[in-house]
Amino acid sequence: MSTGVRVGYQEELERLEASGLGGLEMVSVALNRTLEAVEHQDVELAQIVVADDDRIDGRYLEVHQSLITLLATQSPVATDLRLISALLHVLKNIERMGDQCVNVCKMIPLTGNEPPADEEMVKRILAMGGQTKTLISQAKRAFEERDIELARDLVRQDDIVDDLNRECFRLALEIGDDADKREWAMTMLLAARAIERIGDNAVDIGEQVAFVVTGLFREFEDASHPSA
Amino acid sequence: MGAAGATRVETRTGAEVSATLPGDVASKPGAVAAGSRPAKTIDVREVNLFYGDLHAVEDVTMAVEPNKVTALIGSSGCGKTTFLRSLNRMHELNPKARMTGEITLDGQDIYAPGVDPVQVRRLVGMVFQSPNPFPTMSIYDNVAAGLNLNTGRVKKSVKDEVVERSLRGAHLWNEVKDRLEKPGSGLSGGQQQRLCIARAIAVEPEVLLMDEPCSALDPVATLAIEELIGELKSKYTIAIVTHNMQQASRASDITAFFNLEATGKPGRLVEIGATEAIFTSPSEQATEDYVSGRFG
Repeated sequence: MSTGVRVGYQEELERLEASGLGGLEMVSVALNRTLEAVEHQDVELAQIVVADDDRIDGRYLEVHQSLITLLATQSPVATDLRLISALLHVLKNIERMGDQCVNVCKMIPLTGNEPPADEEMVKRILAMGGQTKTLISQAKRAFEERDIELARDLVRQDDIVDDLNRECFRLALEIGDDADKREWAMTMLLAARAIERIGDNAVDIGEQVAFVVTGLFREFEDASHPSA
Repeated sequence: MGAAGATRVETRTGAEVSATLPGDVASKPGAVAAGSRPAKTIDVREVNLFYGDLHAVEDVTMAVEPNKVTALIGSSGCGKTTFLRSLNRMHELNPKARMTGEITLDGQDIYAPGVDPVQVRRLVGMVFQSPNPFPTMSIYDNVAAGLNLNTGRVKKSVKDEVVERSLRGAHLWNEVKDRLEKPGSGLSGGQQQRLCIARAIAVEPEVLLMDEPCSALDPVATLAIEELIGELKSKYTIAIVTHNMQQASRASDITAFFNLEATGKPGRLVEIGATEAIFTSPSEQATEDYVSGRFG
């Protein structure tokens, strides 16, 4: 029924959605580098991730400002209003995901050049990262395609990340009495926790997909009132 | 009317709003705020409106709820003004106008044989698009005009009281109290419209109908009228036709969207619901397209 009215506004909104969700690709790149830095104790690569986070923040600020301008000048309502509201949320999620990559990367120098790494724990952290990348791309696709089922499936995907995180915790508990090893394990637990939070942010994006489509906001999983 | 004598309106906020018909206003849910009075419900059932051979409005069933502002929106020619006018039988001023269906005011059929249309219009007042004070009459006489027409001779002291109360009610008293004898046409557009609202409420109607009351006003005067509408709903049932989407979203509690299926087809009610729902997640695609401004 669209008859070519407000074309410029529609195009701008589409452009901002693409640009905002493009932030997820930037996060994916940052996470890739983060995992590589973890795997190889690459302090320099970690520093690049930290510096590059400014680009993610820049994207956030740019799209956020343009969305506010659309709100001020175009009085969006109905689906457009829900989309803009969701994008403002999602931008914040993306910005947080970037920050979590930074958090992980800042821990890498702390572990030293040749840390007493536990291979099992590193394996699980890398697996968490790989699974989180799946979550990020799935969240992006769910938003682009307004696919609630795909969005809802993020919860299941995120459970895998959560399980791996718990395993990291168990491994850290069992790491032994060596002080250096224990310090390394504690630091890596914080890294695992940061990656786990990236997964949570992806699930939050899925919730915004449901809001855009249905107009109802419901948490897929309420951490403060778990159903089980 | 339902079995329990109640009409139900889905507001799409999850809750149903029900209003008892007729009388028994004390038991009305939705509690009328302090300092207010319970107003009356207009119930519209299967209303069709015609001008000669032209079928202007088709099969409208809805309620205009008491102490609420109901906005009627829709593109030009969708019949919303015709529909508004049928609510106080003003469309009958066109001799070719015809209506089928039923419109009741708190259960009383306003089209029943023997009902005087003039009496209906006293209970259901109208404020028009362009402010239309009687140009040669003083501000005072403009407000008192309806009083004289409807109730015959009235004592000066009573008239003074009504004029002051009505002008206060329309937020105009302080601006005009020292020049009540000056002509109404000397006021600004916004003041003139408030004068017309004062004239409408002077006869203590139950319902106020407003046909694009702000379309000739500047933004400041518009906001003043919208604020006034917000206050008037504590005493009256209000229905307002507006082309201004933001006005509908700002000033109304309930929004009814009218539309034509195609040119030449009669206007019909597409969707009615809580204003909030209509402007955030309407049920119908046509409503979505219209409120989003995507309508051709």
